[in-house]
Amino acid sequence: MNLLTYIVKRVFLIVPIVLGVLAITFLISHIVPGDAAQLMAGPRATPEIIERLRHEHGLDRPLYVQFGIYIAHVFRGDLGKSILTRRPVAADILGYFPATFELTTTALLLAIIVGIPLGIVSAVHKDKVLDQFSRLTSVIGVSMPIFWMGLLLMLVFYVRLGVLPGPGRITGASPSHITGLFILDSVLTGDWRALGDSLLNLVMPAFVLGNAVLARVVRMTRSSMLDVFGQDYIQTARAKGLIERAVVYKHALRNALIPTLTVVGLAYGELLGGAVATELIFAWPGMAHYVVRSMTSLDFPAIMGVTMVIALIYILVNLLVDISYAFIDPRIRY
Amino acid sequence: MLKRLLVIFLLTALVGIFSLTALASPEGQTLIFGATGELRTLDPHVSVDNNAWRAIYYCYDRLVEYELGTTELAPGLAESWKVSPGGLTYTFYLRKGIKFIDGTPFNAEAVKFNFDRLLGMALAPSGTFGFIDRVDVVDGYTVNFILKEPFAPGVSAFATDQGNIVGPGVMDHEVNGDWGQDWLTEHSAGTGPFYVEEWTHGVRVVLARNDDYWGEPAKLEKVVIKYVPEAADLRMLLETGEVDIGEKLIVDQIEAMKGTPGVTVFEAPSFCCHYVYMNCQKPYLNDVRVRQAISYAVNYDGIINDLWRGTATQMRGPVPMGLVGHDDTVFQYQQDLEKAKGLLAEAGYPGGGFTLKIMHAPVIPEWRPMALVIQEGLAQIGIKVEIESYAWATLRDKLDKGDFDMSHGYWTPDYADADMFTWFWFNSENWGLAGNRSWYKNAVMDELVTRSRTEVDPDKRLGLFRGIQWIGTSDAVYLYLLQINYQIVMRDWVKGYVYNPMLLNMPNFPDMYIEK
Repeated sequence: MNLLTYIVKRVFLIVPIVLGVLAITFLISHIVPGDAAQLMAGPRATPEIIERLRHEHGLDRPLYVQFGIYIAHVFRGDLGKSILTRRPVAADILGYFPATFELTTTALLLAIIVGIPLGIVSAVHKDKVLDQFSRLTSVIGVSMPIFWMGLLLMLVFYVRLGVLPGPGRITGASPSHITGLFILDSVLTGDWRALGDSLLNLVMPAFVLGNAVLARVVRMTRSSMLDVFGQDYIQTARAKGLIERAVVYKHALRNALIPTLTVVGLAYGELLGGAVATELIFAWPGMAHYVVRSMTSLDFPAIMGVTMVIALIYILVNLLVDISYAFIDPRIRY
Repeated sequence: MLKRLLVIFLLTALVGIFSLTALASPEGQTLIFGATGELRTLDPHVSVDNNAWRAIYYCYDRLVEYELGTTELAPGLAESWKVSPGGLTYTFYLRKGIKFIDGTPFNAEAVKFNFDRLLGMALAPSGTFGFIDRVDVVDGYTVNFILKEPFAPGVSAFATDQGNIVGPGVMDHEVNGDWGQDWLTEHSAGTGPFYVEEWTHGVRVVLARNDDYWGEPAKLEKVVIKYVPEAADLRMLLETGEVDIGEKLIVDQIEAMKGTPGVTVFEAPSFCCHYVYMNCQKPYLNDVRVRQAISYAVNYDGIINDLWRGTATQMRGPVPMGLVGHDDTVFQYQQDLEKAKGLLAEAGYPGGGFTLKIMHAPVIPEWRPMALVIQEGLAQIGIKVEIESYAWATLRDKLDKGDFDMSHGYWTPDYADADMFTWFWFNSENWGLAGNRSWYKNAVMDELVTRSRTEVDPDKRLGLFRGIQWIGTSDAVYLYLLQINYQIVMRDWVKGYVYNPMLLNMPNFPDMYIEK
C-alpha cells in the first residue's frame, strides 16, 4: 500500500469516528438532568413559553429522531442554531476558533522549539548538571496548575513590572479581518503595530499553556535519544570517526524524533482542552467561554458543534503526525 | 534668572489652562467597564440577562422611567399616563418629535409595534407583560393598553428592561419571519442616549453616544464594556487603572480593594435576597413546626458577619427592606436552639433524629459555606443535613420537579413592587421554578396574594401585603436569610455614578463622566 492509498483510507475513517463521537456526546448531554428549554426561557417564564421553545427547537421529539435530524443537517454543513446565542453554531465557532487555534499552535510550537533542544542537551549530558537542571525545570513546569501560574505571571510581569500586557488578546485595535488569526492577518496587511501587540499578548498565555507539553517533550526526547545512543549504528558512526555533532543531530535525532512526534500529536488535543483554563485566566476570546457556557446551559447544538470540531482537529493532527513518520524515517512504509 | 522664572511661570500657567480645559470639557471621553459576565444577545425581547441589560438599557428608552436613584416612576417616552378607574385600561400620552437611532419616527404605531413584537415572539421577556390583552392606537401619540384583569403593579413593569421600546425599523432586517431577531442580536434599535456600535464576541461591546438624543445627551462619548471572565484579572485591571469601573468581584477581593489607593468601593443595600427553599411537600418539612425549628436553628449572625463580612443584612420577612410594602414590624427569626428543640419535640421528633438534604450550585460560591453553617446549626438540634452540589441546569430541573428537601436560591425583582416577593413566592399556582419554590400551599395565602394583584387601592394593598408577610414568616415557608449589599468597584476618577436598586448591574452611563 502506498502513502496515497493510506491517506485516502484514513480520511474515510474520519466519518465513522466523528459519527461515533457525536453519538456519544449527544447521548451524554441528553442524559444529564436539566431542561434546555427551561434554561433558555429564563427565570420567570410561563409554562406556555417553555413548551413553545421546546417545540421550536425539537426538544419534544424522541432522542433518536433528534439525533437523526441533527446528523442530516451536519451532512448539509448546517450545525444548527445555538439555543443560547440564537446564532448559527458554525458562525459562533468560526468567530471563536481562530483565537484558540492561534494560542494552542503557538504553545505547541514553543514546546517543540524549546523542548526538543532541551531534551537533546539532557541526553547528551546525561546525569550531569545540565541534565538535572532541565529535568527539574520540566518537573516544576508540569506540576504548576495553569490558573495559578497564569495569575502569578500576570501579577509579576503585568502589575508589578509592567513589561507585558494584561489579560486580553490585543491591547490596541485588531488587524483587519482576513483569517481571524491576528499574527497572520497583521503580516498579510502589513500592520506591524498589531503584529507586535498581538505577539506581546501571546507571550504569557502561550508560555503557560505550552509549559505542560514542554515537560513531556523534553522527557520523551531525552529518553528516546538515550535509547538510540545505545544502538549499534551509533557506535559504528562514532567508530568511523564522525564528529559528535553529526552523530547526535544527523544519526540519532532523526530516529529519536518519532516517539516525540507521537507525543506532540496527542498533546495537541490536550492543549485544546487545557486552553479552557488558560483562556479564562488571560481573557483570551477563544472557544473556552463558549464551551463552558454551552455546557452549563445544555446548549446541545453548541456542545455538539464544538465537540465535532475538536474531534476533527485531533484526528487531522494525528493523521499529519502519522504521515510525517514516512518522511522522517524512509524505512516506514504504509 | 528672572527670565527663567518667567518662562517657568508661563509654562506652568499654560499647563494649568490646558488641564483645566481638559477637565471642563468631557468631550471624547471613553469609560471602560470590566464585566466578568458575557452577554448572549442584545435583543431586549429575547434577553433576560443582566449582562445584556447593562449594554442595552441605555440604548433604549421606556414609556416610564425610574427617577434617578429611586424606585419612583417618572415620565419617559410617555409624558404622562392615566389608569382607568377599574384599573383595566392604561393610557399613555407620548412625547413628540423623537426619532429612533435609524431615523424612524417614534409614535403610537411604534409603541404598538414594539408590544406586537414582544408578545408575538413570546419569549422569556414577554412574561412581564402577560397581563396585557391588547394594545390600541388612539391617535398619533396616544396608546391604550387593555388589561386582561386589573394588575396593580402594571405601570412599573413598563420601566423594566422588558419595557425597552424597539423601533419598527428592525423589520427592514427581517428574515423568514423572525421579527428581525438575527439582526437585533448584534445591534440596537432604540431611542436612547447610546447605541451599540460594535460587539466583538468574547471581547467587548462598544456603546457610542447618540448625538441626536431627544433628552440631555450623555456626557461620555463611548462606553466600552470589556469582557474579563476571571475576577482576579478584573481586580488587576482595576488596580492598574486599565479598567475604570467593574463587577463582579468576590467578597474577599472587594475587602482587599477597599485599601487600594485611587479605588472606590461603592456599597448599598440591594433587593437581591439569598434564601433557602424548604419543600413543604416532603416528609418532616410538611410540618410547620419543623420548618419553624429549622428557622430557629440557623446561625444568622455567623452567615452575615463571618461569611459575608457584614456586606448583607438579615431579611425581615419575605419582602426586602426598602421596597414599598415591606413591613418593618414583621417577625424575624434569631438562633434559639432551646425553642427549636421544643418545636421539634412538639412535632413528634424529640431530639430530631432524621436527615434532610440541602442542595446548592457552585456558580454561587457563597452557597456552600452557607450550607455548612446551616448544617452545623441543625446538627445541634439533632437534624442531620447532607449537602449536595449540582450543576446549575440540574439544580433548576430538580427545583422545578420538586425533587429536593431544601435548596439554596436567590431572587431579584423585575419590577419595583412587593408583588415580586409575594404572589410569585406563595401562590400555589407557581409551584416550582415559577416562584413558589417551597411548594407551599395555603388557601388563605392563595386568596391574599391573588387579591393583592388586582386591588387598586394602594392602602388596601399594603394591608394585604402585611398579612402575607406575617403568614409567610409564621408558616416559615422559606429560610429568610439575607439581603445582600450591592457592591461595585471604580477608580476615583469616575464621577456621576448614581445607584438604583432596581437597576442592578446597570450603572447610569448617560450621567457618568471621567475627571482625571
